[in-house]
Amino acid sequence: MKEKTFVIFRQKNPDAKPSYERFKVPLTPGMTVLEALFYIQDHFDHELAFRYSCRGAICGSCGLTINKFPQLACKTQVHPSEIKKHPRVPNLEFGDLKDWDQEKEILIEPLPNMSIIKDLVVDMETFWKFYREVQPFFDREITDEAPESTQTFEDARRIEKLVYCILCGMCWTCPVSGKRKDYIGPSNLAKAFRFIDDTRVSEKHRKEIYEKAMQENGVPACEKIFACNAVCPKGVMPGTAIDKIRKLEKK
Amino acid sequence: MNIGRIDSLKVEEFDAIIVGGGLSGLRVAIELADTMNVAIISKVYPLRSHSGAAQGGINASLGNTEAGKKDSPKSHAYDTVYGSDYLADQDAVMFLAEEAPKIVIELESMGAPFSRLDSGLIAQRAFGGAGFPRTCYAGDRTGHALLHTVYEQCIRKGVKFFDEFFLVDLIKVGNNIAGLVSLDIASGELVVFRSESVVLATGGFGRIYKRSTNAIINTGDGLGAAYRAGIPMQDCEFVQFHPTTLYGTNILMTEGARGEGGFLFNKNNERFMSKVAPKAMELAPRDIVARAIDTEILEGRGFENSYVHLDLTHLGSEKIMERLPGIREISMYFAGVDPIEKPIPVQPGQHYSMGGIASKYKGDFGETPLEGLYSIGETSCISVHGANRLGGNSLLETIVFGRYVGRAILKKNKQKKLTASDVKKAESDVFKSIENLFSSWNENTGKKPVEIRTAMKNTMDVNVGVYREASRLKQAVKDLQQVQKDFEIMHIETQERKFNFGLIRALELRSMVDIAEVTAVAALWRKESRGAHFRTDYPTRDDKQFMVHSLVTREKDELVIETKPVTLGLFEVKERAY
Repeated sequence: MKEKTFVIFRQKNPDAKPSYERFKVPLTPGMTVLEALFYIQDHFDHELAFRYSCRGAICGSCGLTINKFPQLACKTQVHPSEIKKHPRVPNLEFGDLKDWDQEKEILIEPLPNMSIIKDLVVDMETFWKFYREVQPFFDREITDEAPESTQTFEDARRIEKLVYCILCGMCWTCPVSGKRKDYIGPSNLAKAFRFIDDTRVSEKHRKEIYEKAMQENGVPACEKIFACNAVCPKGVMPGTAIDKIRKLEKK
Repeated sequence: MNIGRIDSLKVEEFDAIIVGGGLSGLRVAIELADTMNVAIISKVYPLRSHSGAAQGGINASLGNTEAGKKDSPKSHAYDTVYGSDYLADQDAVMFLAEEAPKIVIELESMGAPFSRLDSGLIAQRAFGGAGFPRTCYAGDRTGHALLHTVYEQCIRKGVKFFDEFFLVDLIKVGNNIAGLVSLDIASGELVVFRSESVVLATGGFGRIYKRSTNAIINTGDGLGAAYRAGIPMQDCEFVQFHPTTLYGTNILMTEGARGEGGFLFNKNNERFMSKVAPKAMELAPRDIVARAIDTEILEGRGFENSYVHLDLTHLGSEKIMERLPGIREISMYFAGVDPIEKPIPVQPGQHYSMGGIASKYKGDFGETPLEGLYSIGETSCISVHGANRLGGNSLLETIVFGRYVGRAILKKNKQKKLTASDVKKAESDVFKSIENLFSSWNENTGKKPVEIRTAMKNTMDVNVGVYREASRLKQAVKDLQQVQKDFEIMHIETQERKFNFGLIRALELRSMVDIAEVTAVAALWRKESRGAHFRTDYPTRDDKQFMVHSLVTREKDELVIETKPVTLGLFEVKERAY
């Protein structure tokens, strides 16, 4: 049976020294990185910590850095193993890694620019805090009385890509997220634009969201690097959304 | 066991506790948040819940399209009852259908990004088993869109969330719910949530099968906890196999793909649905299409003896990109097939649990036999789906009964009736039993969880699938009894508790082995074919003996089956043909 070696980032707790551990996993046809991680958890070390849920690229749980590129583990194939590169994605360093054989081994590390709690599990609390900060919701009165409010086909279509954001946090690969712990972050600014650009949102709330997004640690902090667009697994294009908010200002 | 820890046992107290952060649980919270001290506990971040994987849509007889002008709640209810093969309770179904238009309009008012018609109204598409186009949708990611919308409203209302807390066991005093014990996944500590109103909304239990469209987290935690607390499991033999799951990974390929005009072909290039449902063709209900596909494969007309083709190529790239972009993405990522150019390889796979916690046992919708304990959504069996659920009715069920149960809890606004000393004693007993369980797992020398889990899934796939018969079901029951024995002496280290997902998955398995056994035993008991439950040895429906709900409980080492009549009265019972 063919095997693949995984080099996995390990860290017992937030203060522990990180290390890398190797596991040999027997390959099955169409095996994904997530399945390989479960194999390791089931057979070698049940304490290996990583998040997961849907295994169908819709829930946003399993974002990891795979072969130095942030990806969803559930939709990344083990074979053929790919070394993804993109000029806008910065070099990502996590621990003291010297002997990774890029040709033969798959390297698994946590998401970048987030604090590590254990192994591949990162602290998402800051991420959710900034998500809540842009007030990503409708402020209309909840009513069940017909008819529904209308929206043109085109207006509904325009926000579709933004609606599809799965909040996986991979766009925190952004170098600004790396150097500024208070940066609201690409996905949350894209979320703000999902509401700003929805024709059904009230003028008052649109303005509130816009102002949140335009805080010093929001849109103005973006350096137009567009690493977010390069790593987004859903084509949300957060950087483009940020740009659109910026242009609203000029209007 | 660490008795010393009990004094420092963390206790959180709320007016109401909701377990599960999917659509059902979130919708209850919205109803309660303004006036009650309410919390949601969820083993994953709520936006990771399986509601988000629903693709096709949510049914409501809005009549927004030209073809749907004559649609009505009654027509919706009729299709649902007919589709359920007359096992659904007709009062519950009528309520569901009447609430549906209101619920969809309410979701829109919350900001749900529905796809639109040229008129600007919410768009509606055709779905299996429906007389009119009544399925409202947001592209082919409706569940995702609704989950985000309802979560956003919870954020607006400041609902209190305990994310990454795992339900271990319920606490009861006499016949009253008193709360639950959870495992805080991050800290590894057991935490008590104390409340006399608890809502179980933990989703389905599809992961008792290997071939399933379900998220890995769909392990029936709420059902298992209720079953261990002595609450009956209702109609668990009715397992929906979705006809079109992607060959290889079994990821869902929405019924909407056929609703938009997709065809099914066998390897001889025949649209084989003409043989079993000449009128409805590909849009016959799921049980019928799933059986037709399995027959093609079993009789050698499938591809590689494993799958058939779901062909969308004739729809054209524009329609596929607009209406089915998610399907296209999944096909490309997970099967390397672009449906604009090539047919998608599909096979049936477990998709939905019609059965669940008996939730209109005697009282009202969502109420369980345990006072103060409610269950809704896929966790529950109210029963609106009967023997076969129609596509578009599950998202609907979550919101309709989420709102309803929320209002019921508010209306009761009940005074606490349990004494503090009784509650504390019950909490301490459950805490000790869990610590004992963890100690024994640590000391046991039996099999690892993975071996037991694999044995369970294998027998469910092979022996409790689309086509069933006595000898195979008996084999499944025997296998699962062995699985139970192996589970009793299962070994897993439980000392390190922080983010120990191996331990979490062992706790999930604890519920799954029980529910798998209930499913197999009920399937063996039901000697007829109805909806999704098809017995080759009893190929017809037997209304005389079996137009009843099954209720399974465990008494000592025996599983006991009782029955409950189906609520009829609105629609005359007929043969079912499409």
